[in-house]
Amino acid sequence: MGFSTDAIHAGQRPDPVTGAVITPVYLTTTYHQEELGVNKGYEYGRLHNLTREALEKNVAALEKGKYGIAFSSGLAAIQAFMGLVKSGDHVIVSNNVYGGTFRLFETIMTGYGVEFSWVDTASPENIEHAIKSNTKIVYLETPTNPMLTLTDIEEVVKITRRQKLICVVDNTFMSPYFQNPLILGADAVIHSSTKYLNGHSDVLGGIVVTSSEIIHDRLRYMQKAAGSIPSPFDCWLTLRSTKTLAVRMKQHEINAFTVAKYLVSSKCVKRVYYPGLPDHPQHQLAKRQMSGFGGMVTAEFDSFEMAKSLLKRLRIFALAESLGGVESLVCHPASMTHASVPREVREKFGLTDSVLRFSVGIEDADDLVQDLDNAIK
Amino acid sequence: MAKKKAQKVDESSYSMETHILYGKNFSDKWDYSHHVTAPISSSTTFRLDSVERGAAGFMQFANTLNLDPDEAPIFIYDRLGEPNKDMLEENLADVERGETAVSYATGMGAISAVLGILTRSGDEIIAHKTLYGCTFSLLTNWLPRYNIKTIMADLTDLKSLNSLITSAARVIYFESPANPNLDIIDIRSIAAIAKEINKNRTESEKLYIVVDNTFATPYCQRPLELGADFVVHSLTKGIGGFGADMGGAAIGRKEFRDLLLLYRKDMGAVLNTKSAWAIMTYGLPSLALRMSKIIQTSIKVAEFLESHPKVHFVNYPSLKSFKWYDLARDQMTDFDGNFAPGGIIFFSIKGKNADERRAKSSKFMDYVAVNAYTLTLAVSLGHSRTLIEHPASMTHSVIPADKLLEKGIEPGGIRLAIGLEKADDLILDLKKGLAIV
Repeated sequence: MGFSTDAIHAGQRPDPVTGAVITPVYLTTTYHQEELGVNKGYEYGRLHNLTREALEKNVAALEKGKYGIAFSSGLAAIQAFMGLVKSGDHVIVSNNVYGGTFRLFETIMTGYGVEFSWVDTASPENIEHAIKSNTKIVYLETPTNPMLTLTDIEEVVKITRRQKLICVVDNTFMSPYFQNPLILGADAVIHSSTKYLNGHSDVLGGIVVTSSEIIHDRLRYMQKAAGSIPSPFDCWLTLRSTKTLAVRMKQHEINAFTVAKYLVSSKCVKRVYYPGLPDHPQHQLAKRQMSGFGGMVTAEFDSFEMAKSLLKRLRIFALAESLGGVESLVCHPASMTHASVPREVREKFGLTDSVLRFSVGIEDADDLVQDLDNAIK
Repeated sequence: MAKKKAQKVDESSYSMETHILYGKNFSDKWDYSHHVTAPISSSTTFRLDSVERGAAGFMQFANTLNLDPDEAPIFIYDRLGEPNKDMLEENLADVERGETAVSYATGMGAISAVLGILTRSGDEIIAHKTLYGCTFSLLTNWLPRYNIKTIMADLTDLKSLNSLITSAARVIYFESPANPNLDIIDIRSIAAIAKEINKNRTESEKLYIVVDNTFATPYCQRPLELGADFVVHSLTKGIGGFGADMGGAAIGRKEFRDLLLLYRKDMGAVLNTKSAWAIMTYGLPSLALRMSKIIQTSIKVAEFLESHPKVHFVNYPSLKSFKWYDLARDQMTDFDGNFAPGGIIFFSIKGKNADERRAKSSKFMDYVAVNAYTLTLAVSLGHSRTLIEHPASMTHSVIPADKLLEKGIEPGGIRLAIGLEKADDLILDLKKGLAIV
């Protein structure tokens, strides 16, 4: 089936009892059992929920995987994924991942004896060099947040397959519409469904998709044992959103391109980071690995003062964390999303105080350009 | 599943207080009985496996008298019916001791529907003179357009009622207690009068009694048991209980279900499924718990107000001074037969004349609106918070100022809808307010 057909139908057969075309919000936390050991396969809401199941099947189909396992936030999904490693294991991570991932790994997981190596995965040989006898997972984010650096998933997979490691990709920035890491060979995909999957800035959620039974079984166990599950109502809202993912992503991309081109032409911008621009150093890889360039644009301005005054003057772009919603947002990663990353670490990959990250929404592109133009003047 | 459970348990041996928690817990309307909390139906349309099933669904819709009541209905489209509304309706009928209930988007939707199915051009409605403002507006502004006339009468005095009932009269309509002054109407006596008249009338000429039971809630009064033909509710109030959802219901004999459904289908005042679910899951099951507490609080607050030197009068059914105390005590009872005077108090502050009373009431309400922690100046009632309002300028503002007294509404009257706060806290705020007038 095509992407939009799956988005609208996968996991959502009409309700078997009434024929209801739209999946109900199944709210019960517990299920009546006919007698000891006899039930319909449903026992307790943390383990089984029909609305959640529908969402899991839906996103799994969009990511071309067999299984989806949903969580209450993107970080809850990442934390559950780390249930695959134990004390003494080693994980290799892209050095420019989301600040919350960095915080979870460095300040919490290390406390349980898990070891992390932060490498620039844009050059896959760096992964090769970092592998140790106890390495279990290679954790990628491509494009990265916020510098939009790409990692060649197929090249990394060649290494992880040879070395029998798990390769997982945080695909939040591209959404399954523009990139399917499982097709490129990755073992699992993680999403903060708060972003493009839900797309309306009104639901928190995370999801892991995989075709590996071993990964699925462990994640399902983590969902049950650690309990970071999403509410049925949030699952229902997210299901409602994935139906429009294709049309939203197309418009996000058109608008992001327009904004990126405008920023390139602006005198007070030092550098624009957008994989769709021909001068993006990994433009060829972007064209090969993704079917579009997404809705995120990052720009380095002439100075922190310039960036700061822009934030104050923008009217349509709202200064806020998060991304992937229909409304345009702008953030200052150094003090917001990536505040937990030490200055010397972030400046190494270009994240200075003058960098702003734009989550370009689906408003009229002309109005977005006008907003930027008014603010820059 | 459903039938298996129903056979095991004889529901009739349990009290209503327990019943409203479970309702018809093992409904055949939607086989999710193994879900201890029902799902929210979230589909506007339903897949019909075959044209034949579709045709059967349309044939069955609003043809309930010929259907096996235990058979799961064929759902077609939300406006016609869906599982959550059906489940709520079963429970509402049960608690009001009616045969059937049909839900609507609002209380006004329910009132329009009942009057809509009972009357046609040329018919007459006899209504009590004191009514909720929007019901008054429906009867006097809208129904006359269809040549349906309403005669406003004082139904607290039944001596002249017989002389008002013409051959065109189809409905006797009232609230008891009435909004806002708590007039109590003798439901049994009116039922006896109607019964007598109906002896000589054909089926299409019959006279029906419709009671708006919103003020009392079924916890305090079941008008159908007292002889009324229909009960209407704003579910937004005591039954919903938290001020979070709008809804309405008409409850009566099952022979009217189909007409009520057809009216809802064609006029469109459909209760949304999420509200139906919330009222069924949170509102109705907590009704007994909330109302028993609200009554205790109301009695204390009414007694406090009556003893206060600045208070002109207090209407509340449990007060010995209340004009219809004996009647209220007789017809307002909880499920065990105890006097259940409800949660609404109507009172006024002393003044030399109506104008001064009105001015003082306004000053009092303006003060509590800003300074009280527990009293919220807002319309509506049956809320978890105590709401205070001025009928003459708010809920009943449709009634011209010079007609208020004629309608039994003191221009300075204050309506207090008691919530779930501790009685002493309400009294503290009332005391502060009364101190400044």
